[in-house]
Amino acid sequence: MSRFFINCDQASILSTRGQYGDLNPKEAFRHKLHKGHCISCRSFHKNNERFQRALKGLKWVSLTIAQKKSIRKCLSEAMMK
Amino acid sequence: MPEVKLIPEKWVDRYGDYLFNFTISRVNDAVIAQDLVSETFLAGLKSAHRFKGNSTERTWLISILKRKIIDHYRKINSNKGKAEVRMSYLSSSDQEGDWMEEQAADLRNPNVEDVIEQRELGQALEECIACLPERYATIFVQKTIDNLETETICKEHNITASNLWVIIHRARVQLMECLNKKWHKNN
Repeated sequence: MSRFFINCDQASILSTRGQYGDLNPKEAFRHKLHKGHCISCRSFHKNNERFQRALKGLKWVSLTIAQKKSIRKCLSEAMMK
Repeated sequence: MPEVKLIPEKWVDRYGDYLFNFTISRVNDAVIAQDLVSETFLAGLKSAHRFKGNSTERTWLISILKRKIIDHYRKINSNKGKAEVRMSYLSSSDQEGDWMEEQAADLRNPNVEDVIEQRELGQALEECIACLPERYATIFVQKTIDNLETETICKEHNITASNLWVIIHRARVQLMECLNKKWHKNN
């Protein structure tokens, strides 16, 4: 039975991993079981999900390969001087 | 605190995207943002001898970038002043007042508030990320924003997958607390 039950520290890590879709079915089950009887982990998981939604709603941009190349070129030219 | 050394060869890979995101949310133009990031790296290289190692590389680069962004707006404002003077000489044309409409946000658009809110949240989050320990921030950004594979990040930082998840979890908890203070307080 003990393999089904996890403590709050483990549950909070599983909650975070779950936000990135990293849980296997066993871990997801353990997490769900823990949330069933732990109010604080349930509340943490809700906040964690809300935070993830906020992150997803944000527009993240990154430099393209060409932009990085161009900046790298400028930087290496400056370093050569 | 261990002495921090500058490694300019790795700046673009390590901080390029982060600085670009930081800039674009403030200047709203990809080309200008790229120029400012590039100028920041060059300025960092020039003043590398003044780096005392009291802060991390990223914090130091961000402080340079902030000054660059302020300079950029100063420049724009001084140009705007000139343009406005020109406008007053040409004010007899039929198109008088059009420029104002072009500049003003369309408040009838219901998404405007959302966009502003998202931008403010983005800025608050960037400030919170800047407060994280460097390792936490780098790993969080790589996993959450750059969507890198767990294995790739683990290899780069020489850590196990469970270490990575503990770091990401701690980073997220700190970010949530920081956002609660910064963001929700103001709303």
